[in-house]
Amino acid sequence: MSPPAPNSPSASSDVLRGTLDLLILKALSLAPMHGWAIGQRLEQLSRESLRVGQGSLYPALQRLEERGWVDSEWKATDQGRRAKYYELTPAGRRALGEEAESWRRYVEMVDLILRTT
Amino acid sequence: MRMAKRWRKRLRALVRRDAVDREMDEELAFHMEMETQQNLRAGMSPEEARRRAALAFGGVERFKEEVRDARSLGWVSGASLDLKLGLRMLAKYPGLTLVGGIAMAFAIAVGAATFELVAEVVHPRLPLPDGDRVVGIRILDAEAGRPEERVAGEFLAWRGELRTLDELGAFRGASRNLIVPGGSAEPVAVAEMTASGFRLAGSPPLLGRYLVDADEREGAPPVAVLDHRTWRTRFAGDPGVVGREVRLGGTVHTVVGVMPEDFGFPVSQGMWTPLRLGAREYPPGEGPRLRVFGRLAPGATLDAARAELSTLARRRAADSPETHRHLRPQVQPYARAVLDIHWRIVTGAAYSTNLGVLMFLVLVCANVAALVFARTAARESELVVRTALGASRRRIVLQLFLEALVLGSVAAVVGLAAAGFGLRWGLGAFETVQGEIPFWIDADLEPRTVLYTAVLALLAAGVAGVLPALKITGRGTEARLRQAGGGGGSARFGRLWTGIIMTQVALTAAFVPIVADVGMDTEDIRTADAGFRAEEYLSARLEVDRETVPGVPVEAPPEELDARLRAAYAEMERRLEAEPGVAGVTYAGQMPGAYHPRRPVEVDGPAAPPESEALHRVQAVSVAPDFFDVLGTPVLAGRGFVPGDLAAGQDVVVVNESFVREILGGGNPVGRRFRYPDPVKGDEPRVTAGEPDRWYEIVGVARDVTLTVDPDLPHNAGIYHPAAPGGGVPLRMAVHLRGVPLRMAVHLRGDPEAFAPRLRALAAAVDPTLRLHELRPVADAREAALVTYEFWVRVAGMACAVVLLLSVLGIHSIMAFTVSRRTREIGIRVALGADRRRIVAAVFSRSFRQVALGVGVGVLLLVVLTGGIHSMKMVGLLAASVAVMLGATAVACIVPTRRVLGIQPTEAMRADA
Repeated sequence: MSPPAPNSPSASSDVLRGTLDLLILKALSLAPMHGWAIGQRLEQLSRESLRVGQGSLYPALQRLEERGWVDSEWKATDQGRRAKYYELTPAGRRALGEEAESWRRYVEMVDLILRTT
Repeated sequence: MRMAKRWRKRLRALVRRDAVDREMDEELAFHMEMETQQNLRAGMSPEEARRRAALAFGGVERFKEEVRDARSLGWVSGASLDLKLGLRMLAKYPGLTLVGGIAMAFAIAVGAATFELVAEVVHPRLPLPDGDRVVGIRILDAEAGRPEERVAGEFLAWRGELRTLDELGAFRGASRNLIVPGGSAEPVAVAEMTASGFRLAGSPPLLGRYLVDADEREGAPPVAVLDHRTWRTRFAGDPGVVGREVRLGGTVHTVVGVMPEDFGFPVSQGMWTPLRLGAREYPPGEGPRLRVFGRLAPGATLDAARAELSTLARRRAADSPETHRHLRPQVQPYARAVLDIHWRIVTGAAYSTNLGVLMFLVLVCANVAALVFARTAARESELVVRTALGASRRRIVLQLFLEALVLGSVAAVVGLAAAGFGLRWGLGAFETVQGEIPFWIDADLEPRTVLYTAVLALLAAGVAGVLPALKITGRGTEARLRQAGGGGGSARFGRLWTGIIMTQVALTAAFVPIVADVGMDTEDIRTADAGFRAEEYLSARLEVDRETVPGVPVEAPPEELDARLRAAYAEMERRLEAEPGVAGVTYAGQMPGAYHPRRPVEVDGPAAPPESEALHRVQAVSVAPDFFDVLGTPVLAGRGFVPGDLAAGQDVVVVNESFVREILGGGNPVGRRFRYPDPVKGDEPRVTAGEPDRWYEIVGVARDVTLTVDPDLPHNAGIYHPAAPGGGVPLRMAVHLRGVPLRMAVHLRGDPEAFAPRLRALAAAVDPTLRLHELRPVADAREAALVTYEFWVRVAGMACAVVLLLSVLGIHSIMAFTVSRRTREIGIRVALGADRRRIVAAVFSRSFRQVALGVGVGVLLLVVLTGGIHSMKMVGLLAASVAVMLGATAVACIVPTRRVLGIQPTEAMRADA
């Protein structure tokens, strides 16, 4: 529904939406964090090769919350600033496992095809 | 927990949209701030840092929209938008809103009121604690095939044994003279009831106490509890009424309490006294007629109670087979057991009425649908454009449905209020005619009726909104898109709608005269000539208490009752004749003007051919020998009655002029004979007279008085039989007159109603158990018929008005539609110099032909329904109907015609652009 905003600086590293959900879940699996930190975290984990457009990030978070995979809460940051923190729910944790598994199978399948032809 | 939290968030997102939006803003601001700070750390200037952050973010509003879309309840906000649109539409088309709303509200009101009545009658809910567990017990006499009501013996046995029922009790209804010292003596409906009835009903008394078990014991002082209405009307709401002594017939009772207004258990009555069955033995078929009630014990079911009673009945039948073998106790829901109603017929009638009303609602809604369609078609371009912009058909149908639902909801609210009002009025009218109605039937709308009304509103919205929407969004929208924007649009006012509207016109044309006819009947009743000076007479039905000993529910033998009634009447007559204001006293089985049943007669010798049936049907009534003298209706031929006619074997009668004309076909009737081939039917013995298969000789002809005032029963042929008050002396008369209500006509000089209190006082002085029922001027006998007629005239009149209104609007819709479709053509004609009047004629000719066809079909329908044109009145009614429909058409044409006359050529050009 919402591909990365066209003016996102790294349109080249577009991610499929389902994949973005998976990545967000993964990022949140370590600790609860706010939206901006999630973007930073993903950038850092991908060694700067992935910049998630905020235009995709927040709708994705909204969607995940709707689905009951993440939960949100307003808390103070280390600097004492109010921010909305997202956290994985147990259902989200289960989903992360399943999604990761199916992603791996998908990659293996694509890899297999690429290698045999 | 989480689930709940999620739903709470969704709800909040929907309801507190502003707060949620603010939160989103805050979250975004936070994000921008973090981004900016990072840019600053990277060494950018503050402006540059902010600019980059904003750039990285993209359009804020668009982003917010996307987040909102991600919320799964997005469609609800869409619907609430449609609701707003619906309200705006109501305001934008006030004519449609008003007319469609009124029509729907009327139909919904009729539907809701009917449902409420059907529900209360067929599935009554007792307004008592655990009301659905209150039951009644009846005993069926399997041999006689009828209920056995004299069940005191069984009741006393059950009282000691039944485990599945609590608060087992019994009551019987009786009419008693309530004589208030210093007040009047008037009959009151008394329930003699066991104290358990009060415990079962569970309402605390308003004043004093209610009955307790000790009151039922023999020798206990006689006490009475007052109904709220009796307390108000007969005791002027005296707060010190408790302790006052009143006479109930022959016995002095002490008032011990007053019940609150909403208390009416067991049915509806003015007073309660204890039911004293004493320590007597009551074999089946003896003792008072009782109704037995109780409440299912905690944990017990209806089936358990039935099983227990059957077991008891089998045991009793084994012990004494002669008296109990054929008795079958039946446990039923209370209302069913207590009311003597043929439940299957009532239920069937109730449901079919409800079905009819539902069809009326659908018809009305179909009409509103036609109106909505006409309007929707005018919005065609809007809808087509929306379709082009990607709105799905479902979305557009939903929007139109919600618009109709807004209208339907408003109509439902108005309709519910009207239903409550109408019920109150209808039940009041019913009570006037039929006497008090059971306490569980009231005009308050029950929750299930409100729910049903909501369903009706949905149904109404479905018919009025979805049908036009489906039609307008049907096939070919894309084709229309190509033309839309042009003045025309291309939706057709389809055959279906035209058909509906024309059916409507036809029905209206047939309906209006029928209602007018009933209205004229009402006027006929009001002004009918009684044939004597009815306004000078006061009448009352006389009864005496049936008990041998006051307060003991054992009835005296019929001979004793007859003698008592005769003695009371003779004494009344003696005292009344001594009254200066009284000109004469007489009696009859039924007073002229009130309903007299008809029975077939067979004439010995030549007679006029009967109209349709094999035998003539006439009204027969027993009267006093001096009846004609006192009523001032002279005997025109032969002789009147003499006291000797009362002797046995004197089978003489006097007939009226109508009898000679209608039955005998003229000639001298004196000496002619006739007989009744059939016995009197079950529901008529209280009024009619004459035995079957006995020849009666006509000795005289009396001048006509109108026996039954009813425009539907125009034939007035009547037979008078001589009878002594209460019967008795001649054995034949005794048989016939037992149970015949004795109506005494007091011929007064002056105002009859002013004499009523005096009459009551005289009666109470003659015999405290002598009751005067239906004390009213003889001229009022027609009131009962009038109330019923007026009720129907009003309901039918309103239905008629709604149907007429819809017809007007239906015709208007077609016309307006035609004009909007032909704007271009009209404009061109005007530009070419055509005469406007001819344009109007040309534009509307087709519609006029359709309306004329509708009216013609309606008139034809009416002629068929009423079996041909019989009278000038009928011709007049038909002419009036056509005139009304033409007037309606004219009214419907006003706006479209003005529109046609106002169309300018330039407009046509624009329409064609």
